[in-house]
Order: sequence, then C-alpha cells, then structure tokens
Amino acid sequence: MQIELHNVHKTYEGAQPLHVLKGVNLSIEKGEFVSIMGASGSGKSTLLNILGILDNYDEGEYFVDGQLIKNLSERSAARYRNKMLGFVFQSFNLISFKTAVENVELPLFYQGVGRKRRHDMAMEYLERLGLKEWAGHYPNEMSGGQKQRVAIARALITHPQIILADEPTGALDSKTSVEVMELLGQLNREEKVTIIVVTHESGVANCTNRIIHIKDGVIGNIEENSRHNASAFGTTTVMK
Amino acid sequence: MHDLFTEVWESVRRNRLRTILTGFAVAWGIFMIIVLLGAGNGLMGAFNQGGRDFASNTMMMGGGWTTKPYDGLKEGRRVRLDMSDMERLDKEPFAQYVDDVTTTHTQGGFTMTYGRRYYTNVSLCGTFPSYSDMNKIQIVAGRFINEKDINERRKVIVLSNLMAQNFLNGGNNFRDLLGKRVKVGNFSFQVIGIRKGDESSDDRDLYVPYSTIKTIFALDNRIDQMTFTFHGLNTEEENEAFEKELKASVNTAHRAAPDDESATWIWNRFTQNLQMEKGSRILHTALWIIGLFTLLGGIVGVSNIMLITVKERTHEFGIRKAIGASPWNIMKLIVAESVTITAFFGYIGMALGMLACTLMDKTLGQSEMEVFDQSIRLLVNPTVGMDVALEATLVLIIAGTLAGLAPARKAARVRPIEALRDE
Ligand SMILES: Nc1ncnc2c1ncn2[C@@H]1O[C@H](COP(=O)(O)OP(=O)(O)OP(=O)(O)O)[C@@H](O)[C@H]1O
Ligand SMILES: [Mg+2]
Repeated sequence: MQIELHNVHKTYEGAQPLHVLKGVNLSIEKGEFVSIMGASGSGKSTLLNILGILDNYDEGEYFVDGQLIKNLSERSAARYRNKMLGFVFQSFNLISFKTAVENVELPLFYQGVGRKRRHDMAMEYLERLGLKEWAGHYPNEMSGGQKQRVAIARALITHPQIILADEPTGALDSKTSVEVMELLGQLNREEKVTIIVVTHESGVANCTNRIIHIKDGVIGNIEENSRHNASAFGTTTVMK
Repeated sequence: MHDLFTEVWESVRRNRLRTILTGFAVAWGIFMIIVLLGAGNGLMGAFNQGGRDFASNTMMMGGGWTTKPYDGLKEGRRVRLDMSDMERLDKEPFAQYVDDVTTTHTQGGFTMTYGRRYYTNVSLCGTFPSYSDMNKIQIVAGRFINEKDINERRKVIVLSNLMAQNFLNGGNNFRDLLGKRVKVGNFSFQVIGIRKGDESSDDRDLYVPYSTIKTIFALDNRIDQMTFTFHGLNTEEENEAFEKELKASVNTAHRAAPDDESATWIWNRFTQNLQMEKGSRILHTALWIIGLFTLLGGIVGVSNIMLITVKERTHEFGIRKAIGASPWNIMKLIVAESVTITAFFGYIGMALGMLACTLMDKTLGQSEMEVFDQSIRLLVNPTVGMDVALEATLVLIIAGTLAGLAPARKAARVRPIEALRDE
C-alpha cells in the first residue's frame, strides 16, 4: 500500500470549529489513478492537502510507503514535497513573473540541480507536453489549458511517485479538460505514477480507474471504474 | 549564488521606486557616517598639527608665583629656575627617567642682515644640541649646534631655509651659505646649518648656542624654563607621581612649599597626548553612534519594505513551498534581497560621503585661520581611511541582515496551505 490513512480527523479551529474529516480510512496503491468526489464543502481539498503534506491533521495516522507522516518539521515536509509529490492546482499556481520554462525548472532548483541541466530538463518536459514554443512566455500570455500543462510539467519534472491534482480541470473548458485528463491518464499508464484527482465533475472522475466518494467527512462508497462507464454522460466526453 | 541574485534582481526590479526611496535612507545614513568621521578626523588632525613636530615624551618646566607662605617667606613671590635645577634632573631619583635636558632663552626684535638683504624682527634662541631632536628640527644643510659650540661659546647660527633662500636670491643651493657670516643686531654669526622651516612664525627663530647668548646678554644662572625628554613613565599615574616629586624637589630648593601648585609649572606633552588620544577616541565613538542612529532610520525602512514584499509574495512563497522550498530557501531570498539593497545603496552613500570628504579637504581643509600670529588650519586631512570603509561595509552587511531577518522569518513561516488558498 503506498498511501494509507487510518481514522484521520481534521477540525478547522476558528470562531466556530468545523470538524471536516471525521475518521477517514483510505488505501491507495502504487500506480493507481483515482478520483475523489463529493459535494462542495465535503472536505475533498482538505483531504488532498493532508495527502500532500501541505496541512496537518489532528488525529489518526497517515502513511506514505509505510512511513508515518505526522508532525513533520517544515524542512522534512519540504523534502517530501520536493522528492515524492507533485501538485496540480485548479488555479495553476504558476509564478507570474517567471516564464514557463523557469516555472518548470523551479522544483529542480530546490533539489540543487545545476542551471544548465535544469533548463534542459525543463525544455524536454515542455516539449513532451507540446509547449516548446511557449517556453519563454509568461503565464499571463498563455491560455488556461497551456498553463495547466506547464503546471503538470512542473509537477512531473522531479519524477514524483504521487501526483495530487485539486480540480485540475476546474478552470478549463470541456475540450481542454479532456486533454488534461488524457494527459494524466497517459502518465499513469506509461510512468506508473500514482495520480489522485479531486473533482466534483463526474465526467472527470470517469476518466479515473477508481472513484472515491466522500460524504459527511467520511469515505462513502468506492466505485471500481476500470471500464470508464461510471458517468451518466457517456464514456468519451467530459461534461461540464 | 547566481540564482539567488537573479531572484533578488527580479524582485527589486518589480518594485523599483519603492526600493530606491528606501535605499535613499540607507545611503543617507552611510553618507552621514562617512562625512562625520571624515570631519572628526580633520578636526583631530587640526588639534594635533601643533604637536606633530615634537618628540612626544617631553616635559617643560618653569617658575611661577608662590601661593603659600613657606620657610618664613610670604606668598606671592616669584620663583625662577636656574642651572642647578637642570643639574637636579641628572641626579636620582629623576635621572632614571630623564634623558636630555635643555633650556632655551629667546631674545627677539633683532634685524638680521646678509649683504644688502635683511630680515627684521627675528629672535635669537640660545639652546642646546638636544633641542634639535626634541623639536624634530630638520637640517637640510650643515648641522645643528653641537657640544663644541657650547663649550667654546662659538658665534654660530642655524637659520631656516626660507631665510636662506631669500639671502641666496631665491636659490636652493643652501651649502653656499654655510660658513658665511650674518649679522644679528650688532653681533656677527657664522652660518653652520640650514633647517627646514614651515612658514610659521617660528621661522624667525635663529638657533645659537646657549653659552654664547649667555655671554652676549650677560645672563646669570637663571633660566626661563627647562625642557627634557624622559622614558619609563607610561601611564598617567606614573607621570603624575613623577611631576609631583619633581615639583616638590624644585619648590623646596627655591624655598616654596612642596605642594604649592603655582610656584612652578610643568607641561607634559606625553600626558597631553594621552588625553588627546582619549578625546579623539571618544569623539570617534560619538560620531559612529550618531551615524549609526542615522543609519538606523534607513534600516527600519528596509525592514519595512521587506515586510511589505513578504506580504505581497505570500502566495508565491506558498507555491515555492508546495514544490519543495524549505523555510531556509525562502529566508535566504529575503535576507539576500535586504542585504543587496542595503549594501548597494550603502556603497552609493559611501562613495558620495568620500566625495564630500574630498571636497571638504579641498575647501575647508585648505583654509587657514590667523590666531595669535599663528596660522591654523581648521581641518587637516578630513577624510576617512580604508579601515572605515571596511568597517562600514561590515556594518552594512550586518544591518542588511538584521533588517531582513524579521521579514524573512515571517516569510519562512508562511504555511503553504494558507498561501495557496484561493480567496
Ligand atoms: N482554512 C480553513 N479554515 C476554516 N474552514 C475551512 C478552511 N478550509 C476549508 N474550510 C471549510 O472546510 C470545509 C471543507 O472544505 P474543503 O475545501 O475541503 O471543501 P471541498 O470539498 O474542497 O469543496 P469544493 O468542492 O467547494 O472545493 C468547508 O466547509 C470549508 O468552508
Ligand atoms: Mg476544493
């Protein structure tokens, strides 16, 4: 089991404490392509952030490759994020004053990779994603789909074992959404990367092999979807 | 390193105006430090300019007026030193400290003639051979007075090169004048040495053997003052003890109370220099403190814009952390930016400060003031040395780091999850 959660709880403290995750138990194997679905506010992003060590949880246990991830120092959390994890966000989260290629290079910079090698690798990834001509452009000169592909290139460049995507198609039209999901599926098949996609679009979820439903802070039913026929909207389109 | 500076440069470029405005405060701070220290150095240089020509371990002693009745005599009596007091210094307990003892007797208002040329209002200074060392007299031709001159009461004279030049029609071959006779008042002297003058009123002092003058003017054993060099008195306390003992001894010999402060006076160049050095150190420190406080304003400014920068870049730092930047990576970014801004503008300030010092040297530093017939320069060499530049560099780097530290820690503490949340 690559990812295992036992009885994970998360409460957002505040004027009105909000108990969002109420004992999540979940196992995801290496090389899986899963989606997490649920209503808005059901705690999908919260869960994904915990998986990505971007946030802490209050109770329970979270293991990655058998390693307990709990109360890590910022330094070791940074190392995990850098070496193991890749993130793709709904709002792309590219650095606006850096060009596409500079954005893609950045994770390698934090690994201490030299300038030239870093650049060459970033160019290679951009080329793979069909963005070679856009390497020197700034994010605000690119379309949503292009930006998301840059973000994917950035997530891939460190060869992470797990890619976490929070509504990666949320800001894209249906055609680009399909492209992005196909790209993720291809990565999953060819590079055996574990991919976890959070979405509330059933069409997007249908592209994945397993659909995990989250409801009232716990995991609801889990659909096997290896034949990609879960969607009521058909098997080949991603409906918005 | 290169990457770090690329990042810093990008960030600075995005906030050009704000960076320049803050940088100005830093430049101003360093400018003030440099100019203050330069002016301070110039001032101390001016204070010291009188002292630079003398051996620093000399004392001068002379007689005064008694203020206490003693040995059956009333107060208010004049005390005059004599040759026996000079001999006293050659005996213990003083001899162990005292090296050379001299006295001078100056008689002014003479006219000196050489051929058809003449100088009015010159003074004859009767003195001893060691006077030359004590007062750092530089001989450019011939020699100074020696023992033989004293013993034989020779009528020989040492004059300044400026007078010699005048006598030689502006020529510089001073040797031509050696052995020639000049007339001072009614007395004829043979020139044995030419000394370097400094265009001050001292130039009109003509040195002749003490014994000669004593004969010419029929002086008795009394002397105006005595000057001596000493060694082995290294602290103010030791000097004070020595002075007290010497005064007591001389006072008693002249039937004055041993503790009568006014019966005799001692002027100690060594302790005077010690005090001057102390004063100079205090001035130096005070100027540094004033300068540092001025700089503080700049530092606070830098710290402030770094805080704003951190706030603006919170989202970006969140992204960086999500893709693997450690807190230290983020801190480095901010501290480097802070140090870069501080150092860059600091150096501009330093360069301008040094320029201002040079201007000060060219203007105020060259102007002279006439005080009691002596021309005194207001500032002597009002510039700062390499040491201050290095110290200032160190101050800048430390200041830049301090300015960046709080904002950097704030940046390093940015929780990626909070930074990434879409508003
Ligand atoms: N930092 C926070 N502080 C307080 N409450 C929070 C915080 N983040 C999320 N919440 C709350 O926790 C609940 C779950 O949020 P979460 O973002 O996980 O939902 P989600 O399933 O991703 O929803 P959506 O589909 O709209 O993105 C929401 O009610 C949200 O208001
Ligand atoms: Mg969400």
